Amino acid sequence: MKTETKKDLSVELIPGRNIRLIFSGLLLLVLIFFILDILFGSVSIKASEVIRAIFTSTGSNFETIVLRFRLPKAITALTVGVALSLSGLQMQTVFRNPMAGPYVLGISSGASLGVAFVILGFSSHITPDNINELGNWILVAASWAGAGAVMMLIMVISSKIKDIMTILILGIMLSSGISAIVIIMQYFSNETMLKAYVIWTMGSLGNLTASQLNVLLISVSAGVILSLFSSKMLNALLLGENYAGSIGLNVRFARIVIFICTSILAGSVTAFCGPIGFIGIAVPHIARILFKTSDHKILIPGTILIGGAVMLISDIISQLPGSENVLPVNAVTSLIGIPVVIWVILRNKKYSGPF
Amino acid sequence: MKMHSKEILSLESLKIGYVSGKNENALLPPLTAFANSGELIAVIGRNGIGKSTLLRTLTGLQPALGGEIFYNARNIREYTRMELAQKVGYISTEIVKVSNMRVYDLVALGRFPHTNWIGKIELNDHEIILDALKKTSMEGFRKKFVSELSDGERQRSMIARILAQDTSIMIMDEPTAFLDVAGKYEILHLMHLLSRNSGKTIIFSTHDLQMAINQSDKIWLILGNKLIEGAPEDLMIAGAFDHLFDSSIVLFNSEDGTFSFKSDTKGTIYIDGEGDKRYWTEKAVNRAGFTVSKERTFPYITLPSNSNLCWQLSGHSIIQEFSSIYELILSLSNDLIRSI
Repeated sequence: MKTETKKDLSVELIPGRNIRLIFSGLLLLVLIFFILDILFGSVSIKASEVIRAIFTSTGSNFETIVLRFRLPKAITALTVGVALSLSGLQMQTVFRNPMAGPYVLGISSGASLGVAFVILGFSSHITPDNINELGNWILVAASWAGAGAVMMLIMVISSKIKDIMTILILGIMLSSGISAIVIIMQYFSNETMLKAYVIWTMGSLGNLTASQLNVLLISVSAGVILSLFSSKMLNALLLGENYAGSIGLNVRFARIVIFICTSILAGSVTAFCGPIGFIGIAVPHIARILFKTSDHKILIPGTILIGGAVMLISDIISQLPGSENVLPVNAVTSLIGIPVVIWVILRNKKYSGPF
Repeated sequence: MKMHSKEILSLESLKIGYVSGKNENALLPPLTAFANSGELIAVIGRNGIGKSTLLRTLTGLQPALGGEIFYNARNIREYTRMELAQKVGYISTEIVKVSNMRVYDLVALGRFPHTNWIGKIELNDHEIILDALKKTSMEGFRKKFVSELSDGERQRSMIARILAQDTSIMIMDEPTAFLDVAGKYEILHLMHLLSRNSGKTIIFSTHDLQMAINQSDKIWLILGNKLIEGAPEDLMIAGAFDHLFDSSIVLFNSEDGTFSFKSDTKGTIYIDGEGDKRYWTEKAVNRAGFTVSKERTFPYITLPSNSNLCWQLSGHSIIQEFSSIYELILSLSNDLIRSI
């Protein structure tokens, strides 16, 4: 009898061997993609040179390229992938909507409105290239506020309207509305401000200053830690608010925590890298397919790893290894993400439930 | 016996309803009722009268507009969310649709108020979950996805979830609403067992009056202006259920707890014979719009017996024979009035 209980435990309590295997595989994949991302670039550098550049200080051009450009870029890609995917996962659960994500619901637009206020509204001295650490924090905080405001709005709307497609359309409307506001702001701003803003909107993973990378890393780490704390709440929210409340969840508190977490994650990324689409919506679905679970204790780390890996591979592809051209990373993530989104739409045509 | 019937829940002048803006929309006049430990209580009332609101208010999902709710003589306001979740479990009419969620995971969510900050399932929790699955006969389904279950199986897993929550009170909003007849009785039987064997107090709303009368220990009957509580039989004798149908064309028969439609009677018929054949023939005759008279009059029906295998319909002058109730009724509706 005793041994039987033990056997049951190994099946259900401890993550199965399969799940551990997938986790190890994903970790390995992230590591490989990270190394590849450093190895490939518009200038071809031999692997041995890259290793030498990292571990010795020769002062060569290669060292500059690897340490000043490629390494920060790879770290940025990893961070961005983690942050966007995690915020997507949280949104999908909290809105009970398989199509939720920072980009489609207009959260990224909200964040960019915050950025626009800082760059276009406040000071012509702030440009993405020359602002100091404090300026970066102001930028990122404005971005959080913008993201948070849109989150709140969507939440209010979705408490009244349950239809998922309607919410999506409203998200698109919201994005368009925000773009219109930004265009008006651009129209009234001076040339330097405008230039600074336009450069920002083209955003990429490679334009971050060391101080910006710092701010990004700190913010995203905070978001990730907060999200780990939210896994129990997210599991309860899967059942919907009523059930979540009836099993003891303080739904309002849970929402606030998850909103803050999501706004930090999506807002920070948007502040420094511009809007990057479809990672947030697609990666959580890949995690669900892979792990076949709804348990956020597994989905959160899974989404973190997959998000990092997908963003790294997107970055590698965008550099078009072997050529000197670079594609916008936004285009690559869309091409990777959209098929997953379409698959999800086709899989459950009936959109009454969460996912 | 006295020990057994311990009061676990009481409502005192409870006002339920919604607040919209500054206006309070009270659905009902203040309600007063109580529940003893281990009772199966059916909440009966017409659609939209406020059954769901009452149940949500009792679960603490919605604030009361006034009055008090006491669980174990302690005011609901003094419970924290977590404490209340260890006292009261809830099943709503909302159907849980989550892909990739296994039955085990669903039931494990019942452990929410008992687990640590990340929701880790310990050995103790695991055993409680397995026990809950066993009590609801869902052990075999624990690795199945919730989305693959039938309605009845899903409802059983939801009940297993509250069992895992380990609350002494279970509140269920129309737990049998979307089930077929067999499913309804299976779930009701399970609820009955849980109240008898596990001492759970179960408060459930239902529209199935006959089921409620047959199975529940107590009924909270919500009428437009009051809540009447009592054993189903007490309410029957008091004729309380009649008020449910005041304005409608449905007739509730308080002698046997059955329903019929109000209609003008087409005449009276006497039925000669006893047993289940009489019961069903009488039902059919009533449905055809006739009342069954107590004295022998014309026409009368003679039930099949050993000597005669047919239903005989005897008028003043003719005797007709029918091999089934169906034919008998067909003839009654068509010919009788003309032929007699």
